[in-house]
Amino acid sequence: MKVTYNWLREYVNFDWSPEELAERLTMLGVEVEGVEKSEGAFEGIVVGQVVSFCKHPNADRLRLCRVNDGQGARQIVCGADNFEEGDKVALALPGTSMPVAEGEKPNVLKAGKIRGEKSEGMMCSGKELNLSDDADGILIIPGEACVGQSFAEHKGLAGSDVLYDLEITPNRPDLNGVIGLAREIAALTGNELIKPPIKLAESSSKAENIVAVRIDDADLCPRYNARVIRGVKVRPSPDWLRARLELVGIRPINNVVDVSNYVMMETGQPLHAFDLHLLEGKDSKPTVVIRRATVGEKFTTLDEQEHKLNTDNLLIADGQKGIALAGVMGGLNTEIHDDTKDVLLECAYFNPTNIRATSKSTKLHTDASYRFERGADIGVVDWASKRAAQLIVETAGGELALGSVEVSPGSVEPVEIKLRHGKVSELLGTELTPEQNIGYLTGLELETVSQSDESATFRIPTWRVDLKREIDLIEEVCRLHGVDQIPATPPRCVAGENSFDAEHDVLAEARVILTGLGLNEAQGQTLISGEGAKLVAAESISLEHPLSSDMGVLRQSLLPGLLDSLRVNLTRRKDDIALFEIGRVFKPGCPETRKLAVALTGARRTVFWGDGGESKMDAADLKGVLEDFLLRFGVHGIAWERLESGSSLFIESAEMRLGKQVVGELGQLKPALGKQYECRGAVLLAELDLEFLLRCRTASKSFKPMPQFPAIARDVAMLVPEATTHAAVLAVVKKTKPTNLVRTDLFDVFRGKNVPAGQKSVAYAFTYRNVERTLTDDEVNDAHGRLVDALRGQLVATIRDS
Amino acid sequence: MSLLDEIDPLKAEALSELSAAYDQSALDRAKGAWIGPQGKFTGLMKQLGSLAKEERPLAGKAINQAKNELEQALATARERIELAAAAPTVPTDFSAPGRRQRLGRLHPLTQTTEDIVKSFRKLGFVVADGPEVEDEYHCFDALNTPADHPARDAQDTFYLDQPDRPLLRTHTSSVQIRVMKEQPPPVRIIVPGRVYRRDTADATHNPTFQQVEGLYVDKGVTVSDLKGTVEFVFRELMGPKTKIRFRPHYFSYTEPSFEIDFSNALTRKMGKEWLEIAGCGMVHSAVFEEVGYDSEEWTGWAFGFGIERIAMLRYGINDIRLFYENDVRFLEQF
Repeated sequence: MKVTYNWLREYVNFDWSPEELAERLTMLGVEVEGVEKSEGAFEGIVVGQVVSFCKHPNADRLRLCRVNDGQGARQIVCGADNFEEGDKVALALPGTSMPVAEGEKPNVLKAGKIRGEKSEGMMCSGKELNLSDDADGILIIPGEACVGQSFAEHKGLAGSDVLYDLEITPNRPDLNGVIGLAREIAALTGNELIKPPIKLAESSSKAENIVAVRIDDADLCPRYNARVIRGVKVRPSPDWLRARLELVGIRPINNVVDVSNYVMMETGQPLHAFDLHLLEGKDSKPTVVIRRATVGEKFTTLDEQEHKLNTDNLLIADGQKGIALAGVMGGLNTEIHDDTKDVLLECAYFNPTNIRATSKSTKLHTDASYRFERGADIGVVDWASKRAAQLIVETAGGELALGSVEVSPGSVEPVEIKLRHGKVSELLGTELTPEQNIGYLTGLELETVSQSDESATFRIPTWRVDLKREIDLIEEVCRLHGVDQIPATPPRCVAGENSFDAEHDVLAEARVILTGLGLNEAQGQTLISGEGAKLVAAESISLEHPLSSDMGVLRQSLLPGLLDSLRVNLTRRKDDIALFEIGRVFKPGCPETRKLAVALTGARRTVFWGDGGESKMDAADLKGVLEDFLLRFGVHGIAWERLESGSSLFIESAEMRLGKQVVGELGQLKPALGKQYECRGAVLLAELDLEFLLRCRTASKSFKPMPQFPAIARDVAMLVPEATTHAAVLAVVKKTKPTNLVRTDLFDVFRGKNVPAGQKSVAYAFTYRNVERTLTDDEVNDAHGRLVDALRGQLVATIRDS
Repeated sequence: MSLLDEIDPLKAEALSELSAAYDQSALDRAKGAWIGPQGKFTGLMKQLGSLAKEERPLAGKAINQAKNELEQALATARERIELAAAAPTVPTDFSAPGRRQRLGRLHPLTQTTEDIVKSFRKLGFVVADGPEVEDEYHCFDALNTPADHPARDAQDTFYLDQPDRPLLRTHTSSVQIRVMKEQPPPVRIIVPGRVYRRDTADATHNPTFQQVEGLYVDKGVTVSDLKGTVEFVFRELMGPKTKIRFRPHYFSYTEPSFEIDFSNALTRKMGKEWLEIAGCGMVHSAVFEEVGYDSEEWTGWAFGFGIERIAMLRYGINDIRLFYENDVRFLEQF
């Protein structure tokens, strides 16, 4: 909604500066999105009067003058000599942009010194004002000009104005008109709202004899008013009307259409004018019918678009055809044109939901539909019609028929709301007296219908469609009292309660552990491309109307997003990347759940000058990160099982199991897929079901005493077949159960020299310890001997001499 | 030559050999040559027996004294050699970079969220959570935003291509409804989380973004309480000199509703006295009725704001899309 400072001032008095007005509106809840000064003619130039003058002490051809600007006298150095004391002149004050011809640089007048004497302004010549070619002397204003008056006002021209671009919240359709905004200011200042007086010169022929109105669907149109003006002359509007519409962004068309737009901006009530002669009907008297369109009914709106309608659309029709899409746009067939003589002026109230639906289905969003769909003022219909009729007669001439044809089948029940004064203070947290409450609300033209000590009941004006309950009245009191007047009380501290609270901390802890392991936290898009989603699953949840194909489905895994992040980094020459993400994923038919994913590629650690070449990360790095994470996080007993069946994503991978539950997968990305993401080296990926791990976590910690007695270590190096896994070795150890064995550590794996092909040399350190005493060599040798025998026998291992 | 006369020259020779030993093995050799079992000094001791009885004490004493001297020289030499072995072979260049471990960083949105959570927790708030895939009931209807409401434009909402047309929540306010339906008042929660709107991605919009919602329901909760808490939280987040301003506004699920502007050195640096930061209001009685709270007995407030916006202001980030790209050079700055 656009409105100007001067326009508002026509309806209510206030002495705020334009900046102050913006501030006041903002604090009333009308957000000012833009303030634009529109320069009037001769901005900064006032009528001045020469008080006295003398010769400039340092220049023969200059005069040193005292000139009254209305506030007081100022010194001006002037080169002209065609004036006398008492002459009135056009005085440009410092800061004035002097009128310049098109294309020239703006010339801003400054206060300064001329030949050592200060000069605070300039007395202008006719040429300097672009009024004449006379450059010989300054312009002398004849007659009774008022000293201090703006020169523009003196010449009868529009002065400057300030244009406000306001954001009107959807609950306040009444503020989509200047009068509605003025009413807010009136309530705040206590000044009277001045509505323009209606003075209609009606002829003796009655409107009802010229046109008839019939409403078929009263639920969609509870009130319709028609007036007739005959014998108008359609032509461009007068300057004031054109200028004002242009200022608020409406293109002037002709006097009749401009008036209907002007009254809409003024009252918030849209109006429409038809060419009466283009309405068809039986006899000589056409009937305006407000009806639903028929299925497939075609209708061409003013913008020359043809629409195929259905029974949800409300039409204004004559006996033969549709003439307007009710509340949205008029029809091309009955448009006001240059030869229009007689005008039918429509002013009505339409059902907001219906207008909204029609506006959406026809994709026509107009100033009218905008206002109707938010809820117009059913009570202003007749007044707005009269106001428009009066302005049409004033600007286009013609003769206004007597009265109007008004059909209002939908009776309006006045809304009454009770306000308990105690409730106001209780909710706002500040004490307000009943008088204050009533004062604020009656200031907004709410009428008190009854009152007691505790409460007052108000009748709500028709334009306040947002006021429905007591709380709505409390909000009005709060606005007018000023939220800045309500004290801020310190927070009251009581512990809240929610089961998720602890989980939030566990998730935060998981993130901290992972950063400690050298991973940066990533946050990927929830919406990803269908193509990326297919990497991990055939089916995903897709959006009905995606914005673009690369944000078309909900992520079912965090991995496609992490791969996108790898690509971002790799294309920017950042090759060594370690990322994790904790986020939600969405699988069709499953509840949304949180996962943890890790992606590694590039060098193991930051390059250090003292080490040899960099080494690249491999699956063991990934497993190490996951092991450390699980240990710190408190999940124990994960089994890592190689997936022999292969996967669509990985060239090599393993499952992580906790009992029978698969809790994650890790592996190395297929190089062909890696290439798609600009990855040249190995890419290690893992994804874990964090929601499940959360539930398996052992958060409790307990102290075990440090060992009191020394341990004895025995190393074993052995040749085993390549296929023998670490797990297989551990299985033998577990089965053999050597007495006092407390640790088994793999410390070397070697292939090559002295190791036959198809075999590998593995070396283990076995640690023996007893908590109660120092072990003897014999005891250890005995247990260890049995273990070595078992390894040799069960793993087909060749034990190497140490 | 008598035994006594041999002691001093031998000792001098031994001492010079010990002090000349440059490493452990040279020292060991020197030790063996002089005071080991086969050493020359040890040999000297063995000759004591061949001396005349009256010469023995004097010679014995002299030999012992010399031997002690040699033992001491040996210890000194050992210390010197050990010290030399432990010292760096070349002096360390302390200006060269050290060998560093890699440490990751938390995402700036995580850090901001945690700071917000911390300041609310000081006031006794706890964190709550809810689904991101929502239904119209929790996202709109229950929040006093009926189907034909202008605030509920389908253009802004992502609907899923699924039975019953679920949607991606457009605000975290949907969690208000879920929590209030689950637990009786009083309520004191904050809800950080992702929300979704059909905005084309640009410097200030991403279809996915994050919000924090605060909800407080109790007996006698007032606009004053709301102001006090908001001021507290934003001073925690944006600095103690931050000024807060409330402006009346409209949200369908609060009444009265306000927008919150803040002002501090940061906004002034950006050339603005006030900058919009959050929306809030007293929980609408229609919402209380929907969740079965008696609005005569209980009142409450809710407020919400964008986490990206706070993070952008705090860190001076000028493009929201940076948060979701995960450029490591970006992540490592926080």
